[in-house]
Amino acid sequence: MNQVLHIFRKDVRHHWLEIAASVALLAAFARFDIRSWSQPYGAMATGIAAALGTQLLPSLVDFLLPVSWIFLIVRVVQAESLVGDRQFWVTRPYDWKQLLAAKGLFVLTFVNIPPFLADAFLLAYAGFHPTHYIVGLLWLQLMWIFLLFVWLTALATVTNSIPQMLLALLLIVLDVIGTSALSSAIRKAELSGGIDQWWGLAIVGVAVIVILMQYSRRRTALSRWIAVGLCALLTLISVASSRATPDRSSIVRQYPLSTGSQPVELGLMPPAAHQDESAPFYNDEVSIRLPMSVAGIPKDSFLNLDGMIVTLTNARGFRWDSGWQTNSQWLFPEQKTTPLFFQIKQSVFDQLNSGPVTARFLLAFTLYRNQNRHQFVVPSGKFSLPEVGTCTTEPRYSRGIRCLAPLRRPAFLLVTSENSSSTCAPGDAETSPPSGIFLHDFVRGASEPAEMGISSIRQVDINLSEWEPSVGRVVAVGICPGTSLILSTPQVTGRRGMELQFDNLSLADYQPGPRKGVH
Amino acid sequence: MTSAIQTDHLVKKFRRVEALQRLTLDVPPGAVYALVGPNGAGKTTAIKILMNILRRTSGRAQVLGLDSSHIRGHHLESIGYVSENQEMPEWMTIGALLAYLRPFYPTWDQALEAALVKQFDLPLDRKLRHLSRGMRMKAALASSLAYHPRLIVLDEPFTGLDPLVRDELIQGLLDRAKESTIFVSSHDLAEIETFASHVAYLEEGKLRFSEELSSLVERFREVELTFDTPPALPPQSPENWMQLSAAAAVVRFTESRFDPERTSAEIRRVFPEPRNIAFSPMSLRSIFLAMAKSGRNSA
Repeated sequence: MNQVLHIFRKDVRHHWLEIAASVALLAAFARFDIRSWSQPYGAMATGIAAALGTQLLPSLVDFLLPVSWIFLIVRVVQAESLVGDRQFWVTRPYDWKQLLAAKGLFVLTFVNIPPFLADAFLLAYAGFHPTHYIVGLLWLQLMWIFLLFVWLTALATVTNSIPQMLLALLLIVLDVIGTSALSSAIRKAELSGGIDQWWGLAIVGVAVIVILMQYSRRRTALSRWIAVGLCALLTLISVASSRATPDRSSIVRQYPLSTGSQPVELGLMPPAAHQDESAPFYNDEVSIRLPMSVAGIPKDSFLNLDGMIVTLTNARGFRWDSGWQTNSQWLFPEQKTTPLFFQIKQSVFDQLNSGPVTARFLLAFTLYRNQNRHQFVVPSGKFSLPEVGTCTTEPRYSRGIRCLAPLRRPAFLLVTSENSSSTCAPGDAETSPPSGIFLHDFVRGASEPAEMGISSIRQVDINLSEWEPSVGRVVAVGICPGTSLILSTPQVTGRRGMELQFDNLSLADYQPGPRKGVH
Repeated sequence: MTSAIQTDHLVKKFRRVEALQRLTLDVPPGAVYALVGPNGAGKTTAIKILMNILRRTSGRAQVLGLDSSHIRGHHLESIGYVSENQEMPEWMTIGALLAYLRPFYPTWDQALEAALVKQFDLPLDRKLRHLSRGMRMKAALASSLAYHPRLIVLDEPFTGLDPLVRDELIQGLLDRAKESTIFVSSHDLAEIETFASHVAYLEEGKLRFSEELSSLVERFREVELTFDTPPALPPQSPENWMQLSAAAAVVRFTESRFDPERTSAEIRRVFPEPRNIAFSPMSLRSIFLAMAKSGRNSA
């Protein structure tokens, strides 16, 4: 007898109501998703009914849909519970492999296939032929399986009721929160590492082991200990690795110091020339902002300042080291200035401020080359934006572009425009800034075939609006039909470190404006 | 012939508690073997080890010639199991349960299934959650008999059932007794007595004895001795005499190794000429009560 199909049919009969609810939620999700495509970015609903329809209900469905999948998985696994010794099925001739296969078939049929079909429908509705994106659609379902369903199934095999399962989930969430808080308390910043995917694989591996052990041997106590052990190990590793905040030598290893020409020429500008608006200080910390001149970036390149280490020393030998501070500042060829800012504790500032200090910076840059650089003039109506998807301009609210991308945003797209090239009519209160200001927007997505999510359509909003220090305010380039954009796909060309030293610095001169406290 | 069930120094510990202490028993094929004992004796533990629901600590256990720890999957096609606290799929009707289980067993006999449904008067369209306890046990038994199992294991099947339902269950079992070995645990001695062929007594995890019911009943007697004058009780009585007591000129005890000639000779050796010696057969309940009280007194 084919137990797989027999058990599968029984589970369908038993859980038809949950299946129907899940499918109904999926249909609602698709409907709300389609409706959201035409909602302008930045538009707010007015009135209770509109708010319900455009915000509250869709948000509720977004939340309930994955909950319904989780519920289905837990219910079907616990229909033949693997915990305890009173289940009627353990003394019946079930073949464990076929039982597991039946549960897998159920999850595949009612948790994976409906979203797969819904995603294909959404692609078609948005104007993308689903057959061109089969790999991406399958990838999306695989990600759901490995990122959520596998370990949820493992949890369901070591619990015997929904309340027990919820308790286990709550404990995991608390563990994650606690670990995160502990790691943050130890060190504030870290280099991003590549260990996450390996730990993800380890979690999936352990989950599979737990599932197989439970179905083949029902060793619940051992399975639970394995799961708890994995959580404890992850906690320890997370906390321990947070202590290993990168020091100078590890930064220099990852960002080798330039031997010849520097990636960028940075010069300290006088403080009076760049009075920014006041930057808040937090509790007992003081903000220091050094205006820097920028030059020497090749025309087809740009950089990101990933982070830095700041060392301040005064004449009395008092020394302060910031440790690794992450950052994310883009530097473009047409850019003339950029700030370097950091925070120090009030007590340290008071010690250092008694006289001039020597400031040493170790700056860590990632270098990019602008590839496939080409001009794109925005047409009217709906248009196809290369590398992205189908787009329209949004003239009322954001004055940008709203795009629908199939399965993922482009891995890395840079959109640039010079402010005078905008063809949008200026707003009533706007005064035109001087020309020659280049604004940028990045679109960064996944390099995999699909980004994680429920919908197969990714909404991409491109807006050109930045704080421009040269004019001391936000400058926006509205994107309307006729506006010229420069599109490019940046590629990382390397990482470089750079050292700067400034002597006889008066820190008080570089405090931006009157201080405002934020507590 | 291979025993249906065989254990050899079977031990089960739950942390520090030794639930089973070197249990050694042998269930011959075709027997109706009753494992009796008070609550907490270890009966259910023993059965769960035999059914590979629990893991043993040490020792050996074999069921139908197979190590019990290997019993799973298709091995269960020959074994029927009914327990008073087994969790049934409450959402199913009786008919749906039988239809669901049918394909799992190659030897499922639909004619027998129909006969059992009729015999137990099972309402096929009623959900298990809406059944009384007795009806639920009957449904469970029907679902465990319909495939002609070689071994039927029942854990406290009569607990909380009215006499009519008990009778129906017992009759259902006896109808199958010729083709199956039946292993049943119970503390309901009155029922056991009516249909068991073998009985084993388990107390605090230890097997006190295991033998055929007929020989057990045969060797136990209530003995009543009548004297002319109240006799003195001996300081040391034979170990096969249990619960020795005297009231006025009458002495009573339970003889556990009864033989008409040997017992009479032993009585006369211990006591001066009694005026009258009377032997009365004992029910299983009386036998176990005497054994239980004797055990407590010796402890």
